[in-house]
Amino acid sequence: MDSEINSKVNLQEILNTLEVDRKKIAETYQTCYILAGLTILILIISIFIRFPALGVFGCLVPLIIGIVMYFRIDDEAKKYKSSYKINVVGAALKSINETLAITPLSGLPEYEFVSSELFTTEPDRYKTQDLITGTADKTSFWFAEVHAEYKTETQTKNGTRTEWHTIFEGIIFAADFNKNFNVSTVVRPKSFGASLGAWFSKNVFSFGNTEVVQLENTEFDNKFVTYSKNQIEARYILTPAMMERILALNNKSDETISISFIHSKMYIAFPLSNNYFEPPIHSSLLAPDLLTEDLSIVQFMHDIVHELDLNTRIWGKE
Amino acid sequence: MIVIIGLFVFLFIIGIVIYNSLIGKRNQVTNAFSAIDVMLKKRFDLIPNLVEVVKQYTNYEQSTLTKIVELRAKATSGNLTQEEKANLDTELSSAVKGLMVTVENYPDLKANTNFLNLQTTWTESEEQIAAARRTYNSAVTDYNNAIMMFPGNMFAGMLGYTKIEVLATPEEERKNISAKELFNN
Repeated sequence: MDSEINSKVNLQEILNTLEVDRKKIAETYQTCYILAGLTILILIISIFIRFPALGVFGCLVPLIIGIVMYFRIDDEAKKYKSSYKINVVGAALKSINETLAITPLSGLPEYEFVSSELFTTEPDRYKTQDLITGTADKTSFWFAEVHAEYKTETQTKNGTRTEWHTIFEGIIFAADFNKNFNVSTVVRPKSFGASLGAWFSKNVFSFGNTEVVQLENTEFDNKFVTYSKNQIEARYILTPAMMERILALNNKSDETISISFIHSKMYIAFPLSNNYFEPPIHSSLLAPDLLTEDLSIVQFMHDIVHELDLNTRIWGKE
Repeated sequence: MIVIIGLFVFLFIIGIVIYNSLIGKRNQVTNAFSAIDVMLKKRFDLIPNLVEVVKQYTNYEQSTLTKIVELRAKATSGNLTQEEKANLDTELSSAVKGLMVTVENYPDLKANTNFLNLQTTWTESEEQIAAARRTYNSAVTDYNNAIMMFPGNMFAGMLGYTKIEVLATPEEERKNISAKELFNN
Protein backbone atom coordinates (compact mmCIF):
# COMPACT_ATOMS: atom_id res chain seq x y z
CA MET A 1 0.00 0.00 0.00
CA ASP A 2 2.83 2.34 0.99
CA SER A 3 4.69 1.66 -2.19
CA GLU A 4 1.54 2.34 -4.16
CA ILE A 5 1.11 5.73 -2.51
CA ASN A 6 4.80 6.45 -3.00
CA SER A 7 4.66 5.62 -6.64
CA LYS A 8 1.61 7.83 -7.05
CA VAL A 9 3.43 10.69 -5.37
CA ASN A 10 6.45 10.06 -7.61
CA LEU A 11 4.30 9.99 -10.71
CA GLN A 12 2.70 13.28 -9.71
CA GLU A 13 6.15 14.84 -9.26
CA ILE A 14 7.27 13.62 -12.65
CA LEU A 15 4.09 14.97 -14.23
CA ASN A 16 4.62 18.36 -12.58
CA THR A 17 8.19 18.61 -13.92
CA LEU A 18 7.13 17.49 -17.37
CA GLU A 19 4.24 19.94 -17.36
CA VAL A 20 6.79 22.78 -17.08
CA ASP A 21 8.67 21.41 -20.11
CA ARG A 22 5.42 20.96 -22.00
CA LYS A 23 4.35 24.57 -21.43
CA LYS A 24 7.71 25.81 -22.68
CA ILE A 25 7.49 23.63 -25.78
CA ALA A 26 3.88 24.60 -26.47
CA GLU A 27 4.72 28.31 -26.11
CA THR A 28 7.73 28.04 -28.41
CA TYR A 29 5.66 26.23 -31.03
CA GLN A 30 3.05 28.98 -30.77
CA THR A 31 5.75 31.62 -31.25
CA CYS A 32 6.98 29.72 -34.31
CA TYR A 33 3.48 29.69 -35.78
CA ILE A 34 3.09 33.43 -35.09
CA LEU A 35 6.43 34.10 -36.80
CA ALA A 36 5.36 32.04 -39.79
CA GLY A 37 2.11 34.00 -39.94
CA LEU A 38 4.06 37.23 -39.72
CA THR A 39 6.30 36.18 -42.60
CA ILE A 40 3.33 35.50 -44.82
CA LEU A 41 1.65 38.72 -43.76
CA ILE A 42 4.74 40.80 -44.60
CA LEU A 43 5.00 39.02 -47.93
CA ILE A 44 1.39 39.79 -48.82
CA ILE A 45 1.70 43.43 -47.74
CA SER A 46 4.91 43.87 -49.76
CA ILE A 47 3.21 42.50 -52.85
CA PHE A 48 0.19 44.66 -52.18
CA ILE A 49 2.16 47.91 -51.87
CA ARG A 50 4.58 46.81 -54.62
CA PHE A 51 7.68 47.13 -52.51
CA PRO A 52 9.64 43.88 -53.05
CA ALA A 53 12.63 44.96 -50.97
CA LEU A 54 10.44 45.01 -47.88
CA GLY A 55 9.17 41.59 -48.84
CA VAL A 56 12.66 40.08 -49.08
CA PHE A 57 14.23 41.65 -46.02
CA GLY A 58 11.13 41.89 -43.90
CA CYS A 59 10.44 38.19 -44.40
CA LEU A 60 13.95 36.96 -43.74
CA VAL A 61 14.15 38.11 -40.13
CA PRO A 62 11.05 36.37 -38.69
CA LEU A 63 11.62 33.38 -40.99
CA ILE A 64 15.17 32.71 -39.79
CA ILE A 65 14.28 33.29 -36.14
CA GLY A 66 11.28 31.00 -36.55
CA ILE A 67 13.26 28.18 -38.19
CA VAL A 68 16.05 28.29 -35.61
CA MET A 69 13.56 28.25 -32.76
CA TYR A 70 11.65 25.42 -34.33
CA PHE A 71 14.68 23.18 -34.72
CA ARG A 72 15.92 23.91 -31.23
CA ILE A 73 12.60 23.13 -29.62
CA ASP A 74 12.12 20.04 -31.76
CA ASP A 75 15.03 18.40 -29.97
CA GLU A 76 13.52 19.25 -26.64
CA ALA A 77 10.15 17.98 -27.76
CA LYS A 78 11.76 14.63 -28.60
CA LYS A 79 13.34 14.46 -25.15
CA TYR A 80 10.02 15.40 -23.58
CA LYS A 81 8.22 12.64 -25.49
CA SER A 82 10.74 10.00 -24.58
CA SER A 83 10.79 11.08 -20.94
CA TYR A 84 6.99 10.94 -20.86
CA LYS A 85 6.90 7.46 -22.33
CA ILE A 86 9.55 6.03 -20.04
CA ASN A 87 8.55 7.72 -16.80
CA VAL A 88 4.83 8.26 -17.07
CA VAL A 89 3.59 5.49 -19.37
CA GLY A 90 6.24 3.13 -17.95
CA ALA A 91 5.05 3.75 -14.39
CA ALA A 92 1.37 3.51 -15.32
CA LEU A 93 1.95 0.14 -17.01
CA LYS A 94 2.96 -1.35 -13.67
CA SER A 95 -0.58 -0.77 -12.41
CA ILE A 96 -1.78 -3.37 -14.94
CA ASN A 97 1.03 -5.87 -14.55
CA GLU A 98 4.35 -5.55 -12.73
CA THR A 99 6.28 -7.13 -15.61
CA LEU A 100 5.13 -4.65 -18.26
CA ALA A 101 7.82 -2.35 -19.66
CA ILE A 102 7.98 0.11 -22.54
CA THR A 103 10.92 0.77 -24.87
CA PRO A 104 9.82 3.80 -26.93
CA LEU A 105 12.47 3.55 -29.63
CA SER A 106 12.21 -0.19 -30.20
CA GLY A 107 9.41 -1.98 -31.97
CA LEU A 108 8.64 -5.09 -33.93
CA PRO A 109 11.66 -5.52 -36.26
CA GLU A 110 10.91 -5.49 -39.97
CA TYR A 111 12.23 -9.02 -40.46
CA GLU A 112 9.81 -10.25 -37.80
CA PHE A 113 6.95 -8.42 -39.51
CA VAL A 114 7.81 -10.17 -42.77
CA SER A 115 8.42 -13.59 -41.20
CA SER A 116 5.14 -13.40 -39.28
CA GLU A 117 3.43 -13.99 -42.66
CA LEU A 118 0.52 -11.82 -41.54
CA PHE A 119 0.71 -9.86 -44.76
CA THR A 120 1.73 -11.00 -48.19
CA THR A 121 3.20 -7.70 -49.40
CA GLU A 122 6.76 -6.83 -48.38
CA PRO A 123 7.07 -3.28 -47.08
CA ASP A 124 9.21 -0.61 -48.78
CA ARG A 125 8.92 1.77 -45.88
CA TYR A 126 8.61 0.50 -42.35
CA LYS A 127 8.14 2.40 -39.10
CA THR A 128 7.74 0.91 -35.66
CA GLN A 129 7.87 2.25 -32.12
CA ASP A 130 6.68 1.85 -28.52
CA LEU A 131 7.53 -1.76 -27.84
CA ILE A 132 5.78 -3.03 -24.73
CA THR A 133 6.86 -6.34 -23.25
CA GLY A 134 5.50 -8.38 -20.40
CA THR A 135 4.62 -11.76 -18.99
CA ALA A 136 1.18 -12.88 -17.93
CA ASP A 137 1.58 -15.90 -15.70
CA LYS A 138 3.47 -18.38 -17.93
CA THR A 139 3.10 -16.60 -21.24
CA SER A 140 5.45 -13.89 -22.43
CA PHE A 141 4.04 -11.39 -24.88
CA TRP A 142 4.99 -8.14 -26.59
CA PHE A 143 3.36 -5.63 -28.86
CA ALA A 144 4.33 -2.52 -30.78
CA GLU A 145 2.96 0.12 -33.09
CA VAL A 146 3.73 -0.60 -36.72
CA HIS A 147 3.20 1.31 -39.93
CA ALA A 148 4.21 -0.60 -43.05
CA GLU A 149 3.84 0.76 -46.57
CA TYR A 150 4.69 -0.23 -50.10
CA LYS A 151 5.23 2.08 -53.05
CA THR A 152 4.09 2.12 -56.61
CA GLU A 153 5.84 4.06 -59.34
CA THR A 154 3.98 5.31 -62.37
CA GLN A 155 5.50 7.02 -65.38
CA THR A 156 3.92 10.37 -66.15
CA LYS A 157 4.81 13.24 -68.44
CA ASN A 158 6.72 14.93 -65.65
CA GLY A 159 8.76 11.89 -64.70
CA THR A 160 8.08 9.09 -62.24
CA ARG A 161 5.42 9.58 -59.65
CA THR A 162 5.82 7.60 -56.44
CA GLU A 163 2.78 6.76 -54.40
CA TRP A 164 2.77 5.17 -50.97
CA HIS A 165 0.10 2.70 -49.90
CA THR A 166 -0.45 1.38 -46.41
CA ILE A 167 -0.09 -2.38 -45.93
CA PHE A 168 -0.82 -2.15 -42.27
CA GLU A 169 -1.14 0.51 -39.60
CA GLY A 170 -1.87 -0.39 -36.02
CA ILE A 171 -0.63 -2.64 -33.26
CA ILE A 172 0.92 -6.05 -33.73
CA PHE A 173 0.66 -8.34 -30.74
CA ALA A 174 2.91 -11.38 -30.35
CA ALA A 175 2.90 -14.10 -27.72
CA ASP A 176 4.55 -17.37 -27.04
CA PHE A 177 1.99 -20.01 -28.10
CA ASN A 178 1.11 -22.89 -25.80
CA LYS A 179 1.19 -25.74 -28.30
CA ASN A 180 3.98 -27.25 -30.38
CA PHE A 181 3.65 -27.07 -34.13
CA ASN A 182 5.96 -27.31 -37.14
CA VAL A 183 4.42 -25.41 -40.00
CA SER A 184 2.77 -22.02 -40.14
CA THR A 185 -0.97 -21.39 -40.06
CA VAL A 186 -2.31 -18.00 -41.09
CA VAL A 187 -5.81 -16.59 -40.56
CA ARG A 188 -6.59 -13.57 -42.72
CA PRO A 189 -9.75 -11.49 -43.08
CA LYS A 190 -12.04 -12.71 -45.81
CA SER A 191 -12.10 -10.22 -48.63
CA PHE A 192 -13.43 -10.64 -52.12
CA GLY A 193 -9.96 -11.38 -53.50
CA ALA A 194 -9.18 -13.83 -50.71
CA SER A 195 -12.48 -15.70 -51.18
CA LEU A 196 -11.92 -15.95 -54.90
CA GLY A 197 -8.35 -17.19 -54.38
CA ALA A 198 -9.56 -19.69 -51.80
CA TRP A 199 -12.25 -21.03 -54.14
CA PHE A 200 -9.74 -21.28 -56.98
CA SER A 201 -7.12 -23.15 -54.96
CA LYS A 202 -9.73 -25.51 -53.57
CA ASN A 203 -11.53 -26.32 -56.77
CA VAL A 204 -9.13 -25.79 -59.61
CA PHE A 205 -5.47 -25.50 -58.82
CA SER A 206 -3.47 -24.62 -55.75
CA PHE A 207 -0.19 -22.70 -56.00
CA GLY A 208 2.67 -24.00 -53.88
CA ASN A 209 1.83 -26.28 -51.01
CA THR A 210 -0.10 -23.85 -48.86
CA GLU A 211 -3.70 -24.89 -48.74
CA VAL A 212 -6.89 -23.29 -47.66
CA VAL A 213 -8.22 -24.93 -44.52
CA GLN A 214 -11.97 -25.17 -44.45
CA LEU A 215 -13.09 -25.11 -40.84
CA GLU A 216 -16.37 -26.32 -39.48
CA ASN A 217 -17.23 -23.14 -37.62
CA THR A 218 -19.23 -21.33 -40.31
CA GLU A 219 -19.10 -17.94 -38.63
CA PHE A 220 -15.33 -18.25 -38.45
CA ASP A 221 -15.13 -19.35 -42.06
CA ASN A 222 -17.28 -16.42 -43.14
CA LYS A 223 -15.02 -13.89 -41.43
CA PHE A 224 -11.63 -15.41 -42.18
CA VAL A 225 -9.70 -17.48 -44.69
CA THR A 226 -7.25 -19.92 -43.09
CA TYR A 227 -4.09 -21.06 -44.85
CA SER A 228 -1.75 -23.81 -43.77
CA LYS A 229 0.65 -26.38 -45.15
CA ASN A 230 -0.72 -28.98 -42.78
CA GLN A 231 -4.47 -29.45 -42.44
CA ILE A 232 -4.26 -31.43 -39.21
CA GLU A 233 -1.88 -29.06 -37.50
CA ALA A 234 -4.09 -26.11 -38.43
CA ARG A 235 -7.00 -27.82 -36.70
CA TYR A 236 -4.82 -28.79 -33.77
CA ILE A 237 -4.19 -25.06 -33.24
CA LEU A 238 -7.65 -23.86 -34.23
CA THR A 239 -9.76 -26.04 -31.96
CA PRO A 240 -13.49 -25.30 -31.83
CA ALA A 241 -12.93 -23.44 -28.55
CA MET A 242 -10.06 -21.42 -30.02
CA MET A 243 -12.16 -20.37 -32.99
CA GLU A 244 -14.87 -19.11 -30.65
CA ARG A 245 -12.30 -17.17 -28.66
CA ILE A 246 -10.81 -15.61 -31.79
CA LEU A 247 -14.30 -14.57 -32.95
CA ALA A 248 -14.98 -12.98 -29.58
CA LEU A 249 -11.67 -11.13 -29.75
CA ASN A 250 -12.41 -10.00 -33.29
CA ASN A 251 -15.78 -8.61 -32.22
CA LYS A 252 -14.01 -6.29 -29.82
CA SER A 253 -11.87 -4.86 -32.58
CA ASP A 254 -13.31 -2.31 -35.03
CA GLU A 255 -11.63 -3.84 -38.05
CA THR A 256 -11.09 -7.53 -38.80
CA ILE A 257 -7.89 -8.84 -37.29
CA SER A 258 -5.26 -11.10 -38.89
CA ILE A 259 -3.60 -13.90 -36.98
CA SER A 260 -0.63 -16.11 -37.68
CA PHE A 261 0.87 -19.06 -35.85
CA ILE A 262 4.50 -19.44 -36.76
CA HIS A 263 7.85 -20.38 -35.15
CA SER A 264 5.97 -21.43 -31.98
CA LYS A 265 4.56 -17.92 -31.56
CA MET A 266 1.26 -16.32 -32.38
CA TYR A 267 0.93 -12.89 -33.97
CA ILE A 268 -2.21 -10.78 -34.09
CA ALA A 269 -2.50 -7.61 -36.18
CA PHE A 270 -5.02 -5.02 -34.99
CA PRO A 271 -5.58 -2.29 -37.57
CA LEU A 272 -5.83 1.01 -35.66
CA SER A 273 -5.41 4.57 -36.81
CA ASN A 274 -4.61 6.13 -33.42
CA ASN A 275 -1.06 6.84 -32.40
CA TYR A 276 -0.90 5.66 -28.79
CA PHE A 277 1.41 6.60 -25.91
CA GLU A 278 2.10 10.11 -27.25
CA PRO A 279 2.18 12.96 -24.72
CA PRO A 280 -0.09 15.97 -25.26
CA ILE A 281 1.66 19.19 -26.26
CA HIS A 282 -1.12 21.72 -26.45
CA SER A 283 -3.21 20.39 -23.59
CA SER A 284 -2.34 19.80 -19.97
CA LEU A 285 -0.53 16.73 -18.70
CA LEU A 286 -2.44 17.09 -15.46
CA ALA A 287 -5.80 16.19 -17.01
CA PRO A 288 -7.37 13.29 -15.10
CA ASP A 289 -8.07 11.20 -18.22
CA LEU A 290 -4.53 11.59 -19.53
CA LEU A 291 -3.70 7.89 -19.73
CA THR A 292 -7.17 6.36 -19.93
CA GLU A 293 -7.10 5.50 -23.61
CA ASP A 294 -3.49 4.28 -23.62
CA LEU A 295 -4.03 2.09 -20.58
CA SER A 296 -7.22 0.61 -21.95
CA ILE A 297 -5.39 -0.57 -25.07
CA VAL A 298 -2.61 -2.06 -22.91
CA GLN A 299 -5.19 -3.78 -20.73
CA PHE A 300 -6.84 -5.15 -23.87
CA MET A 301 -3.55 -6.58 -25.15
CA HIS A 302 -2.70 -7.97 -21.73
CA ASP A 303 -6.09 -9.71 -21.48
CA ILE A 304 -5.61 -11.50 -24.80
CA VAL A 305 -3.39 -14.04 -23.06
CA HIS A 306 -6.28 -15.00 -20.78
CA GLU A 307 -8.95 -14.72 -23.43
CA LEU A 308 -7.16 -17.07 -25.78
CA ASP A 309 -6.28 -19.30 -22.85
CA LEU A 310 -2.57 -19.23 -23.62
CA ASN A 311 -1.68 -20.03 -20.02
CA THR A 312 -3.07 -23.53 -20.18
CA ARG A 313 0.17 -25.42 -20.55
CA ILE A 314 -0.96 -29.00 -20.78
CA TRP A 315 0.24 -29.69 -24.31
CA GLY A 316 3.82 -30.66 -23.69
CA LYS A 317 5.14 -27.14 -24.10
CA GLU A 318 6.43 -25.25 -21.07
CA MET B 1 -15.51 -26.70 -87.93
CA ILE B 2 -12.89 -24.90 -85.87
CA VAL B 3 -15.57 -23.89 -83.39
CA ILE B 4 -16.65 -27.50 -82.95
CA ILE B 5 -13.07 -28.70 -82.46
CA GLY B 6 -12.48 -25.84 -80.03
CA LEU B 7 -15.57 -26.76 -78.07
CA PHE B 8 -14.53 -30.39 -78.00
CA VAL B 9 -11.05 -29.52 -76.70
CA PHE B 10 -12.58 -27.22 -74.12
CA LEU B 11 -14.97 -29.92 -72.88
CA PHE B 12 -12.12 -32.42 -72.82
CA ILE B 13 -10.01 -30.12 -70.63
CA ILE B 14 -12.94 -29.46 -68.30
CA GLY B 15 -13.41 -33.22 -68.07
CA ILE B 16 -9.78 -33.76 -67.11
CA VAL B 17 -9.96 -31.05 -64.45
CA ILE B 18 -13.10 -32.53 -62.88
CA TYR B 19 -11.73 -36.06 -63.06
CA ASN B 20 -8.45 -35.04 -61.45
CA SER B 21 -10.11 -33.03 -58.74
CA LEU B 22 -12.33 -36.03 -57.88
CA ILE B 23 -9.31 -38.32 -57.64
CA GLY B 24 -7.52 -35.68 -55.56
CA LYS B 25 -10.44 -35.43 -53.17
CA ARG B 26 -10.70 -39.17 -52.84
CA ASN B 27 -6.97 -39.36 -52.08
CA GLN B 28 -7.34 -36.64 -49.51
CA VAL B 29 -9.94 -38.73 -47.71
CA THR B 30 -7.62 -41.75 -47.67
CA ASN B 31 -4.79 -39.57 -46.51
CA ALA B 32 -6.79 -38.03 -43.69
CA PHE B 33 -7.93 -41.51 -42.73
CA SER B 34 -4.39 -42.80 -42.36
CA ALA B 35 -3.44 -39.69 -40.39
CA ILE B 36 -5.98 -40.69 -37.74
CA ASP B 37 -4.40 -44.12 -37.71
CA VAL B 38 -0.94 -42.69 -37.13
CA MET B 39 -2.21 -40.54 -34.27
CA LEU B 40 -4.02 -43.50 -32.71
CA LYS B 41 -0.88 -45.61 -32.90
CA LYS B 42 1.09 -42.84 -31.23
CA ARG B 43 -1.43 -42.81 -28.44
CA PHE B 44 -1.50 -46.59 -28.04
CA ASP B 45 2.28 -46.48 -27.69
CA LEU B 46 1.94 -44.31 -24.62
CA ILE B 47 -0.07 -46.90 -22.74
CA PRO B 48 2.71 -49.31 -21.63
CA ASN B 49 4.73 -46.44 -20.14
CA LEU B 50 1.70 -45.01 -18.45
CA VAL B 51 0.79 -48.35 -16.94
CA GLU B 52 4.37 -48.93 -15.73
CA VAL B 53 4.55 -45.59 -13.95
CA VAL B 54 1.13 -45.89 -12.35
CA LYS B 55 1.90 -49.46 -11.18
CA GLN B 56 4.86 -48.28 -9.13
CA TYR B 57 2.70 -46.07 -6.98
CA THR B 58 -0.64 -47.74 -6.68
CA ASN B 59 -1.74 -51.12 -5.51
CA TYR B 60 -5.44 -50.68 -5.74
CA GLU B 61 -6.03 -49.77 -9.36
CA GLN B 62 -5.04 -53.15 -10.74
CA SER B 63 -8.39 -53.78 -12.39
CA THR B 64 -8.34 -50.48 -14.28
CA LEU B 65 -4.78 -51.07 -15.40
CA THR B 66 -5.51 -54.59 -16.57
CA LYS B 67 -8.48 -53.31 -18.50
CA ILE B 68 -6.39 -50.64 -20.18
CA VAL B 69 -3.67 -53.11 -21.12
CA GLU B 70 -6.25 -55.50 -22.57
CA LEU B 71 -7.86 -52.78 -24.61
CA ARG B 72 -4.54 -51.69 -25.98
CA ALA B 73 -3.61 -55.23 -26.92
CA LYS B 74 -6.91 -55.57 -28.76
CA ALA B 75 -6.49 -52.25 -30.54
CA THR B 76 -3.00 -53.04 -31.80
CA SER B 77 -3.65 -56.65 -32.71
CA GLY B 78 -4.43 -55.72 -36.31
CA ASN B 79 -7.25 -57.09 -38.46
CA LEU B 80 -9.59 -54.45 -37.14
CA THR B 81 -11.88 -52.29 -39.15
CA GLN B 82 -11.49 -48.59 -38.70
CA GLU B 83 -14.78 -48.47 -36.87
CA GLU B 84 -13.76 -51.12 -34.36
CA LYS B 85 -10.50 -49.32 -33.81
CA ALA B 86 -12.26 -46.04 -33.22
CA ASN B 87 -14.61 -47.72 -30.74
CA LEU B 88 -11.72 -49.30 -28.87
CA ASP B 89 -10.03 -45.94 -28.78
CA THR B 90 -13.10 -44.32 -27.27
CA GLU B 91 -13.28 -47.02 -24.62
CA LEU B 92 -9.58 -46.73 -23.92
CA SER B 93 -9.86 -43.00 -23.75
CA SER B 94 -12.53 -43.05 -21.11
CA ALA B 95 -10.65 -45.71 -19.10
CA VAL B 96 -7.53 -43.54 -19.07
CA LYS B 97 -9.59 -40.50 -18.18
CA GLY B 98 -10.94 -42.42 -15.21
CA LEU B 99 -7.41 -43.36 -14.25
CA MET B 100 -6.27 -39.73 -14.41
CA VAL B 101 -9.01 -38.83 -11.96
CA THR B 102 -8.12 -41.58 -9.46
CA VAL B 103 -4.55 -40.31 -9.55
CA GLU B 104 -5.80 -37.49 -7.35
CA ASN B 105 -5.67 -40.00 -4.48
CA TYR B 106 -1.93 -40.61 -4.92
CA PRO B 107 0.03 -37.43 -4.25
CA ASP B 108 3.38 -39.14 -4.89
CA LEU B 109 2.29 -40.24 -8.32
CA LYS B 110 0.87 -36.84 -9.08
CA ALA B 111 4.26 -35.29 -8.38
CA ASN B 112 6.19 -37.78 -10.48
CA THR B 113 7.76 -36.02 -13.49
CA ASN B 114 7.46 -39.08 -15.69
CA PHE B 115 3.80 -39.27 -14.97
CA LEU B 116 3.30 -35.55 -15.58
CA ASN B 117 5.07 -35.86 -18.92
CA LEU B 118 2.88 -38.76 -19.89
CA GLN B 119 -0.19 -36.84 -18.84
CA THR B 120 0.68 -33.86 -21.04
CA THR B 121 1.57 -36.12 -23.96
CA TRP B 122 -1.75 -37.85 -23.50
CA THR B 123 -3.74 -34.60 -23.62
CA GLU B 124 -1.65 -33.52 -26.59
CA SER B 125 -2.43 -36.71 -28.45
CA GLU B 126 -6.09 -36.38 -27.57
CA GLU B 127 -6.25 -32.95 -29.19
CA GLN B 128 -4.25 -34.20 -32.18
CA ILE B 129 -6.64 -37.06 -32.73
CA ALA B 130 -9.54 -34.64 -32.51
CA ALA B 131 -7.81 -32.47 -35.13
CA ALA B 132 -7.19 -35.48 -37.36
CA ARG B 133 -10.84 -36.52 -37.09
CA ARG B 134 -11.99 -33.02 -37.97
CA THR B 135 -9.63 -33.00 -40.95
CA TYR B 136 -11.02 -36.34 -42.05
CA ASN B 137 -14.59 -35.09 -41.74
CA SER B 138 -13.75 -31.97 -43.69
CA ALA B 139 -12.12 -34.04 -46.46
CA VAL B 140 -15.14 -36.36 -46.53
CA THR B 141 -17.61 -33.46 -46.76
CA ASP B 142 -15.55 -31.99 -49.56
CA TYR B 143 -15.50 -35.31 -51.38
CA ASN B 144 -19.21 -35.97 -50.82
CA ASN B 145 -20.09 -32.52 -52.15
CA ALA B 146 -17.96 -33.13 -55.20
CA ILE B 147 -19.49 -36.49 -56.08
CA MET B 148 -23.08 -35.48 -55.39
CA MET B 149 -23.11 -32.16 -57.21
CA PHE B 150 -23.30 -31.65 -60.96
CA PRO B 151 -21.11 -32.25 -62.99
CA GLY B 152 -18.99 -34.29 -60.57
CA ASN B 153 -21.84 -36.77 -60.05
CA MET B 154 -21.57 -37.93 -63.70
CA PHE B 155 -17.93 -38.91 -63.24
CA ALA B 156 -18.54 -40.32 -59.78
CA GLY B 157 -21.02 -42.79 -61.29
CA MET B 158 -18.45 -43.94 -63.86
CA LEU B 159 -15.69 -44.27 -61.27
CA GLY B 160 -17.97 -46.06 -58.86
CA TYR B 161 -17.43 -43.47 -56.15
CA THR B 162 -20.02 -43.51 -53.41
CA LYS B 163 -20.82 -41.33 -50.48
CA ILE B 164 -18.68 -41.78 -47.35
CA GLU B 165 -20.05 -41.25 -43.86
CA VAL B 166 -18.40 -38.69 -41.62
CA LEU B 167 -17.08 -39.79 -38.24
CA ALA B 168 -19.56 -39.06 -35.51
CA THR B 169 -18.34 -37.52 -32.30
CA PRO B 170 -18.43 -40.15 -29.57
CA GLU B 171 -21.50 -39.73 -27.40
CA GLU B 172 -19.42 -39.13 -24.29
CA GLU B 173 -17.43 -36.32 -25.87
CA ARG B 174 -20.60 -34.48 -26.73
CA LYS B 175 -21.64 -34.30 -23.11
CA ASN B 176 -20.49 -31.38 -21.07
CA ILE B 177 -17.96 -32.42 -18.53
CA SER B 178 -19.39 -32.32 -15.06
CA ALA B 179 -16.87 -32.30 -12.26
CA LYS B 180 -19.33 -33.96 -9.94
CA GLU B 181 -19.81 -36.89 -12.25
CA LEU B 182 -16.05 -37.32 -12.61
CA PHE B 183 -15.47 -37.57 -8.92
CA ASN B 184 -18.34 -39.94 -8.33
CA ASN B 185 -16.67 -42.56 -10.50
